[in-house]
Amino acid sequence: MTCKDAIAVLADYLESTLSPDLVEKLEEHLRDCAPCRAYLATYRKTKSLTADAGRVEMPEEMKARLREFLLRQLREGR
Amino acid sequence: MLLDRAVAGDVGALEALMSRHSGRVYRLAYGIMRNQADAEEIVQDVFLTLVRKGGGFEGHAALTSWMYRVTTNVALNKRRGKRRELEVSLEEHLPTYTEDGHRDGDRSYVLADWSSTPEQAHLSVETRKILENAIDGLPDHYRAVLILRDVEELSNDEIASIVDDSVGSVKSRLHRARMALREQLTRHFGPGR
Repeated sequence: MTCKDAIAVLADYLESTLSPDLVEKLEEHLRDCAPCRAYLATYRKTKSLTADAGRVEMPEEMKARLREFLLRQLREGR
Repeated sequence: MLLDRAVAGDVGALEALMSRHSGRVYRLAYGIMRNQADAEEIVQDVFLTLVRKGGGFEGHAALTSWMYRVTTNVALNKRRGKRRELEVSLEEHLPTYTEDGHRDGDRSYVLADWSSTPEQAHLSVETRKILENAIDGLPDHYRAVLILRDVEELSNDEIASIVDDSVGSVKSRLHRARMALREQLTRHFGPGR
């Protein structure tokens, strides 16, 4: 397996959807390839940083406006 | 059902419905739009569509799935034609290889492993800004898939159904989006810093 082949299957590897045969080939490649080990570690970290950055909360005043907006729409629709 | 009661004017039911779903609708809308004002407009659109539509959902899962689909479609439609100039070519952020398939580039760069950099650096305002800009710069359909998978943690099958595309295409966009973000973070954390 080359670096190109290894990087192409990283997402499937992290989701545990790779075939056992490919897992074996990838892990063998990773044992011998420091750049791909670094790639995998930073790819995995990118995923977790993205999840952290995306966890935004809806502001309270926006929730209040949504509530008022929907109540008004429901009243007018009746 | 909660939705029927909300449509009939039950304020408590409407509040329960909002409390159950508005957070995720907002998160997804913000994730795709990248600003609060547009995200708020989308949340209002989605809930208005929901109360006008009324019932017809078979259970909580069907309603949640409908919410994701409508939010994604409304957001992508709204994004169409907007801020395209900010989108960067993904190609420049993808790894390059030598002819025999090995990583190409400066040795210290391809060996850069910043994954165990102290947590406060990962959470710093500067890092956050780099990541936010990188996410902003993704093409809309890539960003939508990334948010649905890595923030909302939906399965690739669910995402394929939401964006009306094949699982293969969803997986490809997701992988390329993550690689593009990883590259930009590596330039930030990597050698020379």
